[in-house]
Amino acid sequence: MKDKIIQVLQEVAADSALPLFANLDENTVLLASGLDSLGFAILVARLEEELGYDPFSLMDEPIYPRTLGEFVAVYERLAP
Amino acid sequence: MNVESLCSAISQLPATENCLLTSSGAVSLTTLRKCAGIFAQNYRLGRGSRIALCGLSPTELIKAIIAFDGKVNAILLLPASMDEITSNELIKSACCTHRLNTLENEPIPILSKIYSDCIEKTNTTWLLATSGTTGKPKLIEHSLATLCRTIKRDPLRGAEFIWGLLYDPCRFAGIQVFLQALLSSSVLSVPDSMDFEAQVVALLKNRVNALSATPSLWRKLLMDGRVAELSLRQITLGGEIADQPILDALKHCFPDARIVHIYASTEAGSVFAINDGFAGFPISLLDGVNAPMPMRIREDGHLLVKPLLLPDGHEISCRIDADGYLDTQDLVKVQGNRVFFLGRASGAINVGGNKVNPEEVENIIREVDGVFDVRVYGKKSSMMGQIVAAEILPAKGIKTELLTKKIQFHCRQVLEKWQIPAFLFFVKEFKESAAGKKERLSI
Repeated sequence: MKDKIIQVLQEVAADSALPLFANLDENTVLLASGLDSLGFAILVARLEEELGYDPFSLMDEPIYPRTLGEFVAVYERLAP
Repeated sequence: MNVESLCSAISQLPATENCLLTSSGAVSLTTLRKCAGIFAQNYRLGRGSRIALCGLSPTELIKAIIAFDGKVNAILLLPASMDEITSNELIKSACCTHRLNTLENEPIPILSKIYSDCIEKTNTTWLLATSGTTGKPKLIEHSLATLCRTIKRDPLRGAEFIWGLLYDPCRFAGIQVFLQALLSSSVLSVPDSMDFEAQVVALLKNRVNALSATPSLWRKLLMDGRVAELSLRQITLGGEIADQPILDALKHCFPDARIVHIYASTEAGSVFAINDGFAGFPISLLDGVNAPMPMRIREDGHLLVKPLLLPDGHEISCRIDADGYLDTQDLVKVQGNRVFFLGRASGAINVGGNKVNPEEVENIIREVDGVFDVRVYGKKSSMMGQIVAAEILPAKGIKTELLTKKIQFHCRQVLEKWQIPAFLFFVKEFKESAAGKKERLSI
């Protein structure tokens, strides 16, 4: 899951011509990774196309993740 | 007739210690009033003057509005983010006589003609630019009365709040925040600029406890995380459709806050506020139960509203039906005992509060060699409300991979980032609606 998310994140950054923070790990703060909030909206929408679900429209405990690790955990927790 | 001006309204308020909190210090109501009085006296603009306020900082803008409301014929509010060409066009169409770029200098006269026929008029017209869903922004004529229609003036309760300013104070939503704060004796935290970092720094420094923002900006604030340090008591969402996850997330983060999502537009003003924690609005409002104004749903799903006071002008008058209802051009659907918003009837896309006109994006994409036709529409987004997507009909024999790169490159050159399609789907044909128009329903 983490690899898939990083792969799509890199595609979104490349399509939007945004320079991405080089060493992405689970402590990377999302809003400091190079993507802006629109970039994240696109990432979530692309992941929905690829994975078939959007955890942010399914959340029972609504939390918006701050780091990449938290972001991946939301996808893992709400995987169908 | 005795018409209220902003200056006369605030002079009746109890003199509080602080009224604005800026990076260079606190400003009291008395100082603010004095400042405004000095500006008004120095500039000596006649009653027939129509003044354009261009790109002033939030603090300067508030001072200028207090100085000129009730003293000039019209004030045109132009955001700092607006480009020079659009600003000049709007100044021309608003027949402005003066332009003010900073409070340091005198306003620049741009037209010598003063409108003698309106010299007797005592209330000032506030001209606001819509955020441009149909390409060019339109001017909507308000007055202090139409802007204050839903402002609660309760200085006792108001004194408990420190409001943060997250909206551009030249826009309808920003004006609502600063009028609400000023007229109810709350303190207003004003950032140096409308940049996200400057805004968050000001919120934290001034320990804001009341905040109004779009759902998209709320999501960004929650992702950033620092906003959780604030003890928010009042949370307002507006400008976009508030969905259930963002309402739940805010409740989770700020369990003690009163959370309200408001439905308002530059044209209709504030229509209603919902504080039951659920998305949409109760169907009982349509039957008049606790409804602030008559509302109905037209057969085609358009929400119609009938405010007591409506702004003037042609743009408004052509959207009012025989019964006096204004077409909000918002599509709604009824589900159980709740009414939910679906989006704009025009197909205009709302990307985190930024409006995108699909035709404008289609015209840009059509300029790319290899594109036979294109259909642009809004795709639902749990983070930004909607994002832009496009279906592309490529010319015969064109390789789609290369075409994707060409479209992306061209769009980046000429469009704002929120206008650029995040999805390009290649198709063999478009679905046509019954009227032969391309369907733009949000998917």
